[in-house]
Formats: sequence, structure tokens, C-alpha cells
Amino acid sequence: MKSVLRFGAFFVGILAILVLLCPPGGFAAGEVKIGVIYPLTGGAAAAGRELRAGAELAAKIANSVMPDLPMTMARNSGIKSLGGAKIKLIFKDHEGNPTLGADLAKKLILDDKVDGILGCYHSSVTKTVSAVCEQYGVPMINGTSTSPALTKRGFKWFWRTTPHDRWFTKDLFELLKGLTEGKVRGVRAVPKKEIINVASACEKTEWGSHVSRLIASFAKEYGFNLRKSLLYAAKSADLSSEVRSLKASRADVLLFASYTSDAILMVKTLKAQRVRPKIIWGQDAGFEKPEFRSTLGDSIQGILTRTVFLPKVVEIKALAGKVNALYKAKTGNDLGGASARAFTGVQTWVHVLEKVGSTKPADIQGAANSINIPGSELVVPWAGIKFSTSGEELGQNVLGSGLIGQYQKGPDGKMGLEIIYPFDVASADMIFPFPGY
Amino acid sequence: MEAIKSALDFSDFPRTDMFIAGVVSVFLVCFPIFPHSSFAMATMIQFLMFSLYGMGWNTIGGYGGQVDLGKAQYVGIGAYTAAVMLTRWNVPFWVSMPMGMFFAVCWSFIIGYPLFRLKGHYFAIATIATSLVLKDLFEVWDFVGAARGLEISPIKYSPPDFLRLIFKQDVYYYYIILGFFFLGILYVNWFRKSRLGFQLRSIKDNEDVARSLGINVHWAKVKTYAIATAFVSMVGSFHACYIKNIEPEDTMSLDLSILIALMAMLGGAGSLWGPIIGAGVLIPMKSYLKEWLGARAGLVGIDLIIYAIIIMLVSAVEPRGIWGIVERVRGRKAR
Repeated sequence: MKSVLRFGAFFVGILAILVLLCPPGGFAAGEVKIGVIYPLTGGAAAAGRELRAGAELAAKIANSVMPDLPMTMARNSGIKSLGGAKIKLIFKDHEGNPTLGADLAKKLILDDKVDGILGCYHSSVTKTVSAVCEQYGVPMINGTSTSPALTKRGFKWFWRTTPHDRWFTKDLFELLKGLTEGKVRGVRAVPKKEIINVASACEKTEWGSHVSRLIASFAKEYGFNLRKSLLYAAKSADLSSEVRSLKASRADVLLFASYTSDAILMVKTLKAQRVRPKIIWGQDAGFEKPEFRSTLGDSIQGILTRTVFLPKVVEIKALAGKVNALYKAKTGNDLGGASARAFTGVQTWVHVLEKVGSTKPADIQGAANSINIPGSELVVPWAGIKFSTSGEELGQNVLGSGLIGQYQKGPDGKMGLEIIYPFDVASADMIFPFPGY
Repeated sequence: MEAIKSALDFSDFPRTDMFIAGVVSVFLVCFPIFPHSSFAMATMIQFLMFSLYGMGWNTIGGYGGQVDLGKAQYVGIGAYTAAVMLTRWNVPFWVSMPMGMFFAVCWSFIIGYPLFRLKGHYFAIATIATSLVLKDLFEVWDFVGAARGLEISPIKYSPPDFLRLIFKQDVYYYYIILGFFFLGILYVNWFRKSRLGFQLRSIKDNEDVARSLGINVHWAKVKTYAIATAFVSMVGSFHACYIKNIEPEDTMSLDLSILIALMAMLGGAGSLWGPIIGAGVLIPMKSYLKEWLGARAGLVGIDLIIYAIIIMLVSAVEPRGIWGIVERVRGRKAR
């Protein structure tokens, strides 16, 4: 009998003690708390590490004086208009799970009493987290989710700094069009019939399925034949049937929207099945991660990826070079599309808070709607940050832009990304056609 | 009336069990009154949801011994019925939820009838396959939002809305799912003592003997599968209104099917309290390990390792789950 009672006590204990002893978060003086929700484990854990490092670096710069950096955020220690209050980032791991993301958002808002939210990388998670923020009237800045639908919901507490996939996908088709017109550096005009057949394979959550639809829509608009369009699960352990299907389509251009592990698996399977299209293009994410490069080595030479930041940007922007050096010292890697945008997300928070001098949600909302950060302040090559306050895309930064890079082996023998698009800032000749693995 | 009496009759349980059940019930009813964090509330709602999923699974998987690893398809049917009916035609939850149960039960008959010709591992694999096929269909079906899923917009409805189950405070969701939880216990209590419940246990013990006693084995399994399905679908509808965003990858994933089976198996399959114990241990443990360790620099992922080790330890010590440990202790005392 005693044992059973002991067991009962254990069971009730687990329910009672665990749930009651988690104290609601206090509000420390001199701090501005930003809840940061990223995928720190799961298939996108590599991206999560990069995002976290980018956000932490931005917070470190904002919380200290770094006169060498020509940016407003580095001039003061903390938020000057809030009496030097320091930025405190509270990280949470959503595992790529929208339900968990929503629960974490509630915890951050109600228990940790954060002043705002930043996240979440996966568009599907950003969707649920932003819905929670909207319900509670808490500001959320999103730096890295690119599903166009996110800013078409009329939300008043959601702002997105990154350009979205409609812009990025349009850039891709502009590049293909440029190829046929001889605009691409180092490549003579390619007859359109040589690259007219395209095929796409996108992961099948919110982000990938939107990209898939955009590719279909732009292919039609630009006069390309979409021979195959398929969706696959990013967690798949085997993509051979998808690759066989792509191979059977005999497409000249293969387009992908993949997270890290599936991007690596996709290229490995393409290589194993000897699929050799003329162009392979990835919609950022997995195609741009350091793990993609380190795992696949030289076989990625000639693969294209869209991004918002490439190490070559430092040749155009001195500020980017300085921040990149700090990031490299911290992580051993160059800034990438994810880390640069996470950095910019925190930076946007700092500018908004500096402008408003308050942590009241309504004040932050007003400041975010009227913020105008010049491009010279940013590490990413955008014209600046200014959010749309009317029209279809409420809260979308209207001054962003994208890049398309290509993996090429440098003189030092290391694989790096060269800027191919926009044509006027191209840093190297494009390798065309794709040379094989 | 007899059924209600049977549902309310727990006299075959030892007094100690009833005492503990009473304490836990009082705790659950009073929980929102105590100071608590919102994370604790979310964890409790998850616990109640997974207890109900587990109770549903337990009817066919525990009492019937048919290992079903495709329950997520019914979560999806329930969730999508509620979300589609609300977002497209503004149909309240209290109408869409029974509709979802109806669709789920119909689907369970369609696939259950041929599937129960299979036995053991073959049946388990077939349930996984049907669930994944349905998920794939939902991922390309534009009417239900395809892979992008459906969102119940928080700015379209003004909370609290009891008809549509749209609330700002989680306490409303808590008491609604708690009501379902108590109803679920009463239903399973009736079920285990019903004719079908006894038939099912005899099928689990020896199918050939059960058949020789005149039990229509196939039909008993199909009916119980439908009951299990109705439970899971009901919670799926609740999930759609609670999370306000559903997509096939989240709502109909294999991970969810496995988690549902795991709750019941770890707690003790084939017992009334097993799924509740399983959910009561695993859900808070998973949530709080992640909360305490999950996002700390240098410790990312350690929560999942600890979680997995605990599951392996329980399974190794007593394959019948935590309830099996309790019964073993009781057996020793009785001797």
C-alpha cells in the first residue's frame, strides 16, 4: 500500500511541482528583453546556430561602445533613450514545430514579460508565433522568414525586414532572362531553347510550397516550360524517387527550396544519379549554410543560391567587412544570409527602441511604422529599412533586395560564393553550364 | 441508463487508486486557481490533450492489442474539419467537432475494414502507410490550404467566443479540454466493462479462441477502431481552435502518431489509467527539460537525450509501462 501511495505522490508531484515551480519571469531594471525563437535543434539546427550567433553579435555591439564600427548602434552602450538599458536576448528552441513555437511565444510574453519577439526562420512557425503576438498586442520583428503570405494578413504587430520569396524568385528569372540576353558577366548570350525547360523540388511546409507556386507563376510569366514541380518532406531520409522524377523531366534548370539536411541529401542524390542540368539554383536556406559547403566539398562548384549576404559584399560595404570580421572571430565562419539577417533583425529592434525611448507596445508600434534606417547602417546590401504601413503588404520592409551567388573555387583553393546577380555588382564570371560534381 | 451507471462505477478499483484519482481530479480542477505560469498552463493543456489521444489509442491498441501507428490521420481529419468549416462557412466548433468525428469514423470504417485482415507488424505498418498517404493528399489539396495549411486569423474574431472556441486566455481552453478529459475517462470506464470491451480483451489474449466463442473478431476490431478514432478526432478539432493554425506536416505527422502510441504504451497499455500516467510523465518532462536545458548555449539538444534515456529505462525495467511497475509492486505486497 505504501509503495502505491508513494507512486501516487510521485505522479501528482510531477504534475504539481513541475508546473508550479516555474516562476513567472521578473522584470529586471535596465534591460530590454527580446524573446528570440529559433530552430536550435532538428533539421534546421545548423541554421539555428548561425541565427543565434548573428543575433548575439548584434546584441553585443548594441550593449557596448565600439567606435571602430560606423553604425549608430555601436556608438552607445545599450539603448541611450532608455537610460542605457541593455538588450537581453532570451532564446527559445522551436524545433521547426509551429505548435511548440506558439506555446513558447505565450511563455515569453506572459511569463518572461518580454518587450518584443524576434524570429522564427521557418515561415510556418513565424505564422503561429506572429498570431500569438497579434492576439496579445506584442511587437514582433521577423528577419528571416520569406513566405510572402506572412505580410498579407493585415497584422498590426508584425514587421518583416527581409525581402520575401516573390522578390527572390523574380531575381532568379531575371538572371535566366539576362543569360539569354548576354547580360551575365563572362557568359555569351545563351539561346533560350537551351535553358527553357525548368523543374522544381521544394520542401513542403509554408515556405517551400509558396516558393513552388511562385516558380510556377514566374515560369509562365517569363516564358519558361515548367516540366516538373514537386514537393517533398524536409525530414526525408531518402530523396531518390524525387531525384529520379527530376531526372526524367530532362529539365535544363533545376530549382530547389530546401533546408540544410535535405539540401545536402538532394545534391548527394543528384550526384549519385548523375543528374547534370545546365543550372542548379537553391532558394537560400540549406544551399547557403557552411555545412552545405563543408559536407559536399568541391562538388558544389557552379551551384547557384539566392541570398541577402555574401562575404563578397565586404568589397562593396566596409561596414559589412568589419562586422564579418567580428562574426568570424566568434564562430570561425563568414556571415551568411541567415546570420546577417538575424543581426539586422536585432539591429532593427535597437533602432526602434532608440527612436521611441519606451517599451510600451503601442509606442513601439508607432516607432516601427515610421522607422527609416539608411542602408549605410546595415551589413546587408539593402537601400535601408522602411516598413509598409498601407496596401497589401502591411509591415514589409520596402527597401530590401536580394543577391544570387555561385559557388566557385577561389585562387586559394577554397570554395566560396561569388556575386552573379545583380549584374552591375557581379564579383566574378558566371560558370555556365554547370560543370558537374 | 445502465451505461451511465457503468461509466460512473469504479468499484472494481482498489480504494488507493480511487483516492489518488480523486486527489489528481481535485488538483486538475483547482489548478488554474493556484499561481501558475502560462507555460505551465500550456503544458497542462498538452497533458490533457495527449491523455485523450492516449485513451483513444488505448481502446484499440491497449485493450485490443492492435498496434495502431496511424492515429495522426484522424487528428488531421478532426482539425481540418473544424478549421475548414470555421474559416470558410463560419460554422461553430460545437457543430464542426461532431462533424469531424463523423468524417473520421467514416474514414476509419473505409480503411479499418480491409486493414484488420492484417495482423501484428503488418497491421502497424499498414496504419502508418494510410496515415502518410492521407497526409500527402492533404498536402496537395488546395481546398484545405494544401501544404501551407489553414490559419484561424486572430484578428477576424473577437474573444472570448464560446461558440467558435476563440479565446485569448488559455484558462478557457483548459476547462473545455478538462471537461472532455473527464468524459473520456467515464467513456473508457464504460467501454472496458462493456460487451465489446470484454470481446476485445479475449481477442487480445487469443484470437482463435475468441472466434470459437462466437465473437465476430473482425467486426469487433473495426468498431473499436472507430471509437478510438472518434476520441482522436475530437481532440484534433480542439487542437485547431487552440493553436489556430494547422498544416499537414504539423497535424498529421508520423511523429505525432508515434507520440500518441508512446504515451499509452509507456503509461501502461490496456489499463484505464495508463495513458493518463504516460501523458502525465512524458509531457511535463519533455516541456520542462526543453525549458530548462533546451536553448542553453552548449547544451542544445541535451533535453532530447535525457528524454530518450528515461523512456529507454522505463521500457527496459518494465515493458508493460509505468502501470506495469505499479501492478508488480502490488503483486509482491499481495504475496
